[in-house]
Amino acid sequence: MRGITPRREQGMADPVLAEMVRATGATESRHFAAVKPVIQAYRASWVKLAPYRDGPVNSQRVTVDDPAPMTAQIKQKAKELGADMVGVCRLQPHMIDLGSEVVHEFVIACCVAEDYEKVTEGADAVEEEAMRTYAKCTEIATALAAYIRQMGYPAIAHHNGASEVQAIPIFYQVGFGELGRHGSLINEEFGASFRPGFVTTDLPLVEDQPRESGVQDFCMHCNVCQRNCPGDAIPQDHVMTHGIKRWLIDLEKCYPYSRLRDEYCHLCVDVCPYIVKSHPETYKAFMKERKQVGYKTPKTY
Amino acid sequence: MEKLYVNEIRPDGAVSTVGLFYSRAEAEKIVAMLRDIPEQAVCRYEIVQAVRHVLVEKPAQRKQTAPEE
Repeated sequence: MRGITPRREQGMADPVLAEMVRATGATESRHFAAVKPVIQAYRASWVKLAPYRDGPVNSQRVTVDDPAPMTAQIKQKAKELGADMVGVCRLQPHMIDLGSEVVHEFVIACCVAEDYEKVTEGADAVEEEAMRTYAKCTEIATALAAYIRQMGYPAIAHHNGASEVQAIPIFYQVGFGELGRHGSLINEEFGASFRPGFVTTDLPLVEDQPRESGVQDFCMHCNVCQRNCPGDAIPQDHVMTHGIKRWLIDLEKCYPYSRLRDEYCHLCVDVCPYIVKSHPETYKAFMKERKQVGYKTPKTY
Repeated sequence: MEKLYVNEIRPDGAVSTVGLFYSRAEAEKIVAMLRDIPEQAVCRYEIVQAVRHVLVEKPAQRKQTAPEE
């Protein structure tokens, strides 16, 4: 199956970032240049695991008469490996990178939630926590793909080390949540503070379904992320893609805060009211701090 | 730097935004790649100029507009 969704280049390969770096007279993005050893170690971990995304498939295939118990087994395995949420859907062209081809029928989505107490400590803590969860997702996807291949079915892990699939459309389709105004998928429990890992496979599985719980309706009126964005990069108006509302983040405005400084920016995720369910006290304290420095906060806090 | 939307227009007239791109070369490359996909042959693509905002620091504006709650 050929993919139809463009993927932005990362790091200095991104033409927007490259042009902005040149315009400032620099040779590299400060954010990428100021990488601490702990971050380098996390990044090295997914590069190290990239060659193990795929591997030999056991010639003795486990028979799957009923995909339902197999799906439960796979989800249980992913959770044992450390995933906070696991979902399954049939792979579709809009879930695959434009220019890539993935032959498998299903995709298993795993996510690891960030520690909200940690990310609200500041920019350095955010970056470290983001990289920790990305590294954990890489481990989970790699181990889960190997587990499936051991059962006699082809399976490839997709993670920060290498991937041909796109997180948001898959997360939506497996029912993790809805696309939020800040451009990330919002889950009712974890907000948008989680990171992805995937396995594509031909193992017979039962699909989960998209689950709409009013997140986008809420985003239409909330605007807290938009009002807290230091770069004013979150738009008021949305576009439609495949029938889904999307607010397209203006990278030209986002990058001066998230890439051209030493610090990682995560504010749009941190201020999202959906995180309040799982971290009520931390959220209230964080929003109080935001209010004290002049940003608009939800009425209830 | 240009700012351009790429839109996909289906045979029934439904418009679906592919994405926001920051150079015509990048937008045209994406359109060419999409046109190469046989399943997408029924779709038309348009590149539309998006409004470009002047970069401003937000704090000044914020202090004027953030209401006390």
